[in-house]
Order: sequence, then structure tokens, then C-alpha cells
Amino acid sequence: MAVPLRFSTPAPSSRLEEIIPGSDRIEELSDSSGEYEDMGTATVEEQAHIAYLNSVRIPITDSLETATSRMDDKTAEIILPFLEGNPDGFTLNTFGIPKLQRESHAGALEAFLGDYPARVAFMDASRPWIVYWALQSLTALGIDISAYQKRVAHTFSLAQHPDGGFGGGYGQLPHLACTYAAILSLAMAGGTETYETINRKTLWHFLGRMKQADGGFTMCPGGEEDIRGAFCAVVILSLTNLPLELPPDAPARKRGLTSFTDGLGEWISKCQSWDGGISAAPGNEAHGAYAFCGLGCLAILGPPKETLPKYLNVPILINWLSSRQCSPEGGYNGRTNKLVDGCYSHWVGGCWSIVEAATTTGLWNRTALARYILSACQDEEAGLRDKPGKNSDAYHTCYNLAGLSAAQHQYKYDENVNKGLGTGNLGAAYHWKTEGVYDGKNNVWDEGDVVKTIHPVFVIPYMSVYEMRKYFEEKEGF
Amino acid sequence: MPKFYHDDEAWADIAPLPQDDGGLHPLAAISYSDEYSEAMGYLRAVMAKNEYSDRVLGLTEHIISMNPAHYTVWLYRANTISEIGRPLQDEIAWLNPTALKHMKNYQIWHHRHTIIDALGSADGEAEFISSMLEKDSKNYHVWSYRQWLVKRFDLFDKPEELEWTHSMIESDVRNNSAWNHRYYIVVGGREGKLSVELAKQEIGYTQAAIRKAPQNQSPWNYILGILRAAELPKSTLKDFTCEFADVQRPEEVYSSHALDILADIYAEEENSKENAAKALELLATKYDPIRANYWNYRKGLLDQPNIAA
Ligand SMILES: [Zn+2]
Repeated sequence: MAVPLRFSTPAPSSRLEEIIPGSDRIEELSDSSGEYEDMGTATVEEQAHIAYLNSVRIPITDSLETATSRMDDKTAEIILPFLEGNPDGFTLNTFGIPKLQRESHAGALEAFLGDYPARVAFMDASRPWIVYWALQSLTALGIDISAYQKRVAHTFSLAQHPDGGFGGGYGQLPHLACTYAAILSLAMAGGTETYETINRKTLWHFLGRMKQADGGFTMCPGGEEDIRGAFCAVVILSLTNLPLELPPDAPARKRGLTSFTDGLGEWISKCQSWDGGISAAPGNEAHGAYAFCGLGCLAILGPPKETLPKYLNVPILINWLSSRQCSPEGGYNGRTNKLVDGCYSHWVGGCWSIVEAATTTGLWNRTALARYILSACQDEEAGLRDKPGKNSDAYHTCYNLAGLSAAQHQYKYDENVNKGLGTGNLGAAYHWKTEGVYDGKNNVWDEGDVVKTIHPVFVIPYMSVYEMRKYFEEKEGF
Repeated sequence: MPKFYHDDEAWADIAPLPQDDGGLHPLAAISYSDEYSEAMGYLRAVMAKNEYSDRVLGLTEHIISMNPAHYTVWLYRANTISEIGRPLQDEIAWLNPTALKHMKNYQIWHHRHTIIDALGSADGEAEFISSMLEKDSKNYHVWSYRQWLVKRFDLFDKPEELEWTHSMIESDVRNNSAWNHRYYIVVGGREGKLSVELAKQEIGYTQAAIRKAPQNQSPWNYILGILRAAELPKSTLKDFTCEFADVQRPEEVYSSHALDILADIYAEEENSKENAAKALELLATKYDPIRANYWNYRKGLLDQPNIAA
């Protein structure tokens, strides 16, 4: 798909020269994986992996062939060698699973923040995303990003639009996705000077112009209305602690709305699809990335225990989310009958903390997801990817690591956490805590493979979330 | 050949606004080509004075050819078209090859939506969409656009729409996007409850699809959606579901999805909790073990009152 927010980002280095068209690369890989299996001498570890894979496989296969089943088979053939063995020769952890390759990923991430050649002009409107993905990934790996503080502030001050909000870069129109990436990056960079680069008054007006009479938000002036808009808007409103009342010049006021939250929960409700998932806009197909946007939005509107059952059919939502986990790969797909993809490790994997906060814990298979990420999504050279045969990029690195964090850490909603914070507007999401690292059946990670905790709703470190909100709670006026 | 504006007489009156990166070096900076850099400088200049003209249209086309993901340029182009009154048919004709080249691009689809909305006619759009889906039969933008078209031009009752959707399901019964579209035209996009009569028709249609490939989840989900919309109980499907799974014969299960539904059907019955538990147990241990936690959670719910999903 075009997941929202996605495009392929070649690494800004000599690797650009090596990019081979996808299909050729897949051919190449399936050939070599065939050879690999023919060697026939499975190590003890490999035998254990193969036994595990057989133990989680659905033992039913329909004989009818369609384009979907052909694609599934072809993809499994490419992925399975990476789950059974170690074709890239990574160092293994005590479970015989590739270790998290911290150094090489960190190197790729530093490069993602560096300069790009002219031929990637197609990324010109997505630079805020790259900065967010790379910074978030670095913090997930536990790397100090304070050296970037001033450059983050500078980069986004150039992208801030005089009429409010942030665009992709200097002179570009404001866009909710760019603004979301900008606010999260500025929060991670931290510090009073950084926060003060945000013009909150014009930001408030920009968000007011995005609010629609039906309760949702458009992404940009004259742009599409979808659930990314709803999520991005409440994340921004909440972190910068803006007034909930619509600015006087907001067009939705003419249609009788007075608050940013008017009709919003109801609009999200209309995005729940017939199969239980959540779609981009009412009537569209359920999709993992939009599911996270919808749940994230509801988790900011109020405590999940209240907002999820109020606006969604929770049992069918859980059934749908659960069905996204692919067997035997363990990773997630984004839609029914689509392929497993590392970015859904977060988009779907990240939904569970919010859903469990509304129901009960222990609903999903954390270790199967971690296995897919560590075994199949680490690029031989650096960075993380969709699946074997695809190039790594900043987007997949960020969301694989966020998914790994969701699998490894137990994030709990607790109203008694941070009682002094988030008492005002859209404050529910400031009451999350981490209850230790998960340790269960079929575990696949050592201590060295554990990434840092990540706030389950804002998808940046907890401290970045608290500090920005606190700063703007204490600030008077705009 | 790169195109430049500084030596073009038609642009002599415009002083470009160059990108100012002031002070520190920005993160993820692109070393733009001179051509891209200059064109963007002229765009910023015309945007600053709100110029809408034929030459601006040409400028946006030039930038889009270098960066089709540039939403600012698309939005400004849409405004230009409306301000100068460019014939909308011409715009669509220009757009078609561009769209085929960049199918996963949000901006192109939104632009098309804007133009077709203003044009007020969906003529030719169905054929265009079909040609796009031939290249990528599950493209999210294309299907979402189709749903918008159905709503904008009220095509819900047009027989061709349902026939086309049927043909898409026929060609790949696992295409969930096609099932979603069917739901949209039969139920989702309409107001009000689904009649029992229409529900029965849809149930029959879907059962035939399930028989072709019982482990395909799309039609199972679809049939449950239809039941919910018509407010019919899941037990409506009991006999049908038992064709694919029977808890008394655990070796002969042809669909894990049938077990899932059976569990709910038994849970709603008076004295069948044990059978419900058996179905969930089979899922957790044998037929869908990767989701064992979920099935066990469902089993735990059996002991609680009012579990109907
Ligand atoms: Zn992906």
C-alpha cells in the first residue's frame, strides 16, 4: 500500500547505486534461498526454528489458486529461509535468533539525517517524516540525540508556514502530516528554545481551518479528509496544549461546531468497517495503519476504557486486529489477505497496548512478532525493512523498532500515574506507565535486543511527551 | 533537456524566491538540481503574489514531472485551474498517464477527485479505474476513489456497479478490497437497516464464494457483516458453518474461520458452552495456534454473562 506516510527512501549513500528493481531482487533471492535449502544440513538451531514454525502454522490450505494465493506462496518462499536459518550470517542471540544489529542500524539512521542527492527530489515534501523516523529510531536504540537539538529546531523553523502549521520545507503549504512529524521531532529534541520556535497561535488557527463540519479533519487546505488528519490533529493539540475551542475564523464554526472534539468520536466510529477494522474514511477498507490512527485518537480523547467501547465495537475490532498476525511468519499484514510487512509491527502491534487498556492483557502473540522483526526485517547491511528482498528505509526502521518495543515492554494505562499532568484538555494519554519487559513462552530476545520504551500513543520517548506537555501547561497564553 | 526560467522572456517580470536555509545546515537536506531549485524559486514567487495563469500551469506541470509527491504544487495547480477556467476534460486527459505512473501517490488521487467533482460527471471513470486495478488489484487509493465516485454520483443502484464488483470478486475471491466495495454498495454507503430479503440474497452469494475456498477470511467476515446489518443472529449460519467444522470430529476441519463462528453460535445457545470451549480449544491448539492467546481470551469470556459479540 501506500501506507499513509510512506514512500521508499533509499539510503543516502553509495547504496543508491545498488538499487535493483524489486522484481529482479525477488527472483534473485528466491533462487539463492532454494540453494540454501538444498544444502540440507540444518543446525540444531535451525531444526528448532523449523519445529517452531510448524507448531504455529495453520494446517489448512485451500486448493483454489488466485492471484492472492500465488503472491502469498511466492512471498513465503522468500521469507521462510530467514525464519528457519540465518542466510545473512548475523551474530545470533541465545535463542538462535539474529541479535538486534544496533551499530549498523545506528549508522544507517545517522545517514538518513544527512544530505541527499538531487535525484531524490521526490522526497522534498517528506523531509519532516525522515527527521521524525530517524530521531525516533535513534532514541529507540538508546542513542542520545541531543547533538541534533539545534539543527532540529532550525530545520523546522524553515518549514513553519506564516499562516500556521508546518509544511515539508521552506515555502511549502502547511500540512497536518508534516506538522505532526515536526511537533514530535521538536518534542524529542526538547528544550525551551526548541519549544518556543512553535508559533502556537497560528498553529491553532491552522488546525481550525482543517476541522470539518462532519467532525473529521482534512490533511491540508483543500486536501483529503481522512483518519490520519484526526489523529495528527489531536496529537498536536494535546502535546502543545492548545485551547479546544475552535478559533473564531474556523469554517466549521459556520456549521455550528464550537470545539475541535465536536463530532470527532462519532466520525471515528463511522470509520469502523464491517469486518471490525478501521479505515481511512467511512466506507473504505479496513487497514492497519488507519487502525492505529483511530485508536490513538480515541486514546487521546479519553481513557481507552471509556472511549473505545463508546465509539467502537470492541470484540470485532479485537478479532480483526488478531487476524492481522500472519502464520507462520508472526509479523503483521495491514489488511485481510495482504502480505506481511514490517511496518505493521507498529501500526497493528502498537494497537494492542491501547486495546488491552480497554479490555485485558495477554491478547496477542508478542514473541512471534519479535521473531519476525529480528529474523526477517533486519537488512544485511543496515536498517530495517518490509520483508526480505526489500530495501531498508527510515520508515520501516522506525516502525519495526516501535513494534519491537510494543512486543517487549508492557505498557499500562493507569490514572494514578502523573496525576499532576494532563488535567486539562486532551490529557488522558499522559497516564501511561511501563510494567517491565515481557517474558513469556517462546521468547526470542536477550537483554541486548531490548529497545527502549516508547510512549504507546505518541510514539516518542515518555520523557519527551511529558516535558513538552508540562512546558505548555505552565505557559500562559500563546 | 532541463528547462530554465531566468533566460525565458515570458518570465522576465518574476524575481524568483530562492530557498533560504539560513544559518545551520538543515537535517535531511536535498542537494537540489539547479533545474528543480530554480523552478521552485519561481513557484514561491508566483504563490507569493497569488498569480494564476497559463504559465503557472506550465510551471506546476514542470515541477510535478520532477516531484509528483509535492502536495503544495498540486494544490496550487488545482487553484490555478479553477481561477483560469482551464477545461476540466483537458486536465483529466493530462492526468491519466501521470496517474498510471504514480499509483501510490495521495496527491494525484486527491487532484482527480477535485477535478471530477467540479466537472460533475463520472463518464469514463469506471474504465479508467479498471485499467488501474489491472496493474494493482488492491490499490487502496483506487478503491477509495471508487467509493467516493459511487457516493458523489449516486451509483448505488446502478446494476453495472454491482456487476463490476462481482467480476472483481470472481477474478480473485480473496480480494478483500472487492468485498469491501460490495459491502459499501449493498449496505455501508446507504442509510438504514438492511432488509432481510436482501440479506438472504447476500448470504447465498457469499456462501457460494466460501465453498470455493473455505479458508478465505474475506467472505466469512462479509457474511458476518451482513448478519449484523440485518440484525440476524449468527445461528442463521449454523448448518452452513457445520459443513466446514464440527467439534465432534476435530480431525475434519476445513476452515478455522468456521470454528471461530461456531464458537460464537454455541456461546449464544442455552447449553452449548462446552462446545464453544471445544471450538476455541481446537483453534488455540491446532487450527490457528499463532493466535492461541486470543482464542484463550475468548474462552475465558464464556464464563462471563452477556458475551455476545
Ligand atoms: Zn511497510
